[in-house]
Amino acid sequence: MRRRVVITGMGVVTPLGWTVDDLFTSQIEGRTAVGPISRFDARTFPTTFASEVTGFELGKFLRDAERYAHCGLNTHFALAAGKMAMEDAGLLNPAKGNRSRMGVYLGSGEGSDEFPALVRGLAHASPASGTGPVDAGEFTRVMLQWMDGPREGEQEMHTPAGHIAETFALDGPNQACQTACAASSQAIGEAVELIRWNDADVMVAGGSHSMIHPLGVSGFNRLTALSQRSDSPRTASRPFDLNRDGFVIGEGAGLVVLEELEHAKKRGATIYAELTGYGTTADAYRMTDPHPEGRGAIRAMAEAIADAGLKPADIGYINAHGTSTQANDSTETAGIKGVFGDAAKKVPISSSKSMLGHLIAAAGVVELVICVMALRKGVVPPTINYETPDPECDLDYVPNSAREVRFRHVLSNSFGFGGQNIALIASKFVD
Amino acid sequence: MTETTTHSRRTVLTGFGVINPIGSGPDAFWQALLAGTPGVHTITHFNPEHLPSRMAGEVKGFSAKALIEKSYRRTLNAMARTVEFGVIGCQLAMQDAGLAKGTVPSHRIGVEFASVMGATELDDLGPASKHSIGADTVEPDMAVWGKEGLPKVPPLWMLKYLPNMPACHATILYDMQGPSNTQIPGDTAGAVALGEAQRIIRRGAADVMLVGGSEAKIHPLSLSRFNLFAPFSHRNDDPEGAIRPFDVSRDGTCPGEGTAAFTLESLDHALARKAKIYGEVLAVASGVDRGLKGPGMAQLIRNALTTAGIEPSDVDHVNAHGLGTVKGDAFEARAIAEVFGKSVPVFAPLAQFGNLGAASGLMELACSVLALKNGQLPGTLNHTNPDPACPIQVHTGAPRPVTKPYAVKLSYTDLGQSSVVVIRRWEGV
Repeated sequence: MRRRVVITGMGVVTPLGWTVDDLFTSQIEGRTAVGPISRFDARTFPTTFASEVTGFELGKFLRDAERYAHCGLNTHFALAAGKMAMEDAGLLNPAKGNRSRMGVYLGSGEGSDEFPALVRGLAHASPASGTGPVDAGEFTRVMLQWMDGPREGEQEMHTPAGHIAETFALDGPNQACQTACAASSQAIGEAVELIRWNDADVMVAGGSHSMIHPLGVSGFNRLTALSQRSDSPRTASRPFDLNRDGFVIGEGAGLVVLEELEHAKKRGATIYAELTGYGTTADAYRMTDPHPEGRGAIRAMAEAIADAGLKPADIGYINAHGTSTQANDSTETAGIKGVFGDAAKKVPISSSKSMLGHLIAAAGVVELVICVMALRKGVVPPTINYETPDPECDLDYVPNSAREVRFRHVLSNSFGFGGQNIALIASKFVD
Repeated sequence: MTETTTHSRRTVLTGFGVINPIGSGPDAFWQALLAGTPGVHTITHFNPEHLPSRMAGEVKGFSAKALIEKSYRRTLNAMARTVEFGVIGCQLAMQDAGLAKGTVPSHRIGVEFASVMGATELDDLGPASKHSIGADTVEPDMAVWGKEGLPKVPPLWMLKYLPNMPACHATILYDMQGPSNTQIPGDTAGAVALGEAQRIIRRGAADVMLVGGSEAKIHPLSLSRFNLFAPFSHRNDDPEGAIRPFDVSRDGTCPGEGTAAFTLESLDHALARKAKIYGEVLAVASGVDRGLKGPGMAQLIRNALTTAGIEPSDVDHVNAHGLGTVKGDAFEARAIAEVFGKSVPVFAPLAQFGNLGAASGLMELACSVLALKNGQLPGTLNHTNPDPACPIQVHTGAPRPVTKPYAVKLSYTDLGQSSVVVIRRWEGV
């Protein structure tokens, strides 16, 4: 019999709150945090708004926050979420338990370039005409003066997972993945497998990301992936609505403590839910577009349901990837129909992104936390900003107000640029 | 347990693709390793005169256009060099394994790739930058950038650099619809990619996993950044002798570039299709040695040996990361010494081609795979004066006959993230 994996701790840093309770309350109340970008002057960008974490300081979470002064927001968010998750699980004390059996799996985003220095360096080393090749040698000469070494060192992609391990004394398996918007769900799924295969007893898993910086927004704008509804930012994220026009960029982090069941019971841990199913597939189709029939999404959902030993009819709520892009929402709908058949119309589906925006690499874990809370409270959050039905999206998206639903199993979808499809199933814990 | 299920849990390496500063393709790479060909030289990709460290292992004359599947050539405009290396590495491994598209049912084959974010090509952002900042100004004018600079950024700019793009392109090229993941924990990324691929095959989610890594940091922005924080060698007058693993006069490392990729396959699947087998992957262990002290890595090695079912005395050689850094080499040597004493030869192939970062784990592992397969262990370059702080036996000079069937590969990051891989020479079932 395979080892069972339960969730015994949760921590989040989101635009809608820094505690799990605040996050969930705001989801049930249908609140949004979307507003004008404050990190930089984005007033002339095609997209001028985002879902930002505001007022955040690492010092509110860690006493020795100055140690991490050079780190990026992705690391700061991850450390804060990690602190809350470890505290919640009762594992903060580094003397507690066998730390070499406790690991980290982060689906974390990259750091960022220091935008002003980069632009200044590129402009300086460009020909006076403005076009033609940049003088690479001259570029290096000035960048060595204009960049800050410790800051640059902390942009490397292994650092958030490394700092989590270091700060919370987690000496077990240490992994980090970047599969775009699927990353933190994939991290959780593979962390579950590490515990199932006895490589660890505890895995602190999830993700952290912030792309609300000039190059992040520029890049997404050039791909025309972001909503440009600048006259009404708060209604811009409108998953499954006919008039959706792209996703709203968000930021934040979430970490959950995954624990082998007997290990959790032995130490009397609070069990929030059991992680029963994981499915992972690739579309093998295009760089950014999902397969039009949702073939990869269908198999990921079906695999997760089979992995949990369930049938589609057992799923009581689906937390959709629901990005508010034309392509995602219609193909995800097609995918759900592909798996659930006629039952697709009966299962409540909602998108947390309608309120939170899209936390990119951190989206999946934060949405899983919302699923666990919905499971425990018997109420599912709505999809807000849902006004005009799209004939291609004809399922029950729990429009605009939360709904009381008693259910035992929840499915959470995450799909990423590059074609990765992840489905996770959380279930009410039954011994 | 039936014989079949026992087999199905074993995983073997059946295809190998490599592009390396000292030689590309399994044969040329192996011959250069054996010959001790130095691959680290003064940088030629761009003018390095202002960099404190001006040396690297460069791949010369690489043309993705010449190598990539013709049907996919048009997509090259969405690939930075690191992605190009990765895609070509995957192609070479699949070709070497004899796995044309469609050979394996699409649901039964996936990819685990080791890669990190690429640095922007300067010319991609040059025009937008020039347009958006005054000659004597420190801060760009964001209003100008947003309105007139941003449209000068190539539309696919972001996609060129994403770490998961080698895996993405490989899945499309070979219709691989199984799991696809991209590992990013620096120099341990290759090992954890291999470990995860092994778990995926063991749990039955795939029969074949393409496992690769790529890196292309010989780039003006990357090396400006790395020169500000990385422990690079400053032996600019002697590039070939710059990386000196475990040597008392070592002063830092140098970057390298390229790609290494394998196909990892369940033994059953490999035997059924009579695949050429390079070696068997027995164990992959990941953990953290906080503060690079040594005992944590030593324990990880012991765990991996236990998983592999072998003793330290069964090991032919330890393949170290051997960066040539003062602190890192001493750490690694302490861990090796704690488990093996001085009894096992240590081999640090990185001295020949530089540190390939996210691709380093699989590139260095490949050296041991080939050594076991060919029965000869090449010598480590530039280790001339042992350091008392590194109480291990480094194999140098002429190749030494392989006497035992197992090799152990170590990797780590500056934050102590550590990994150990144990492989076995293939001698038949």
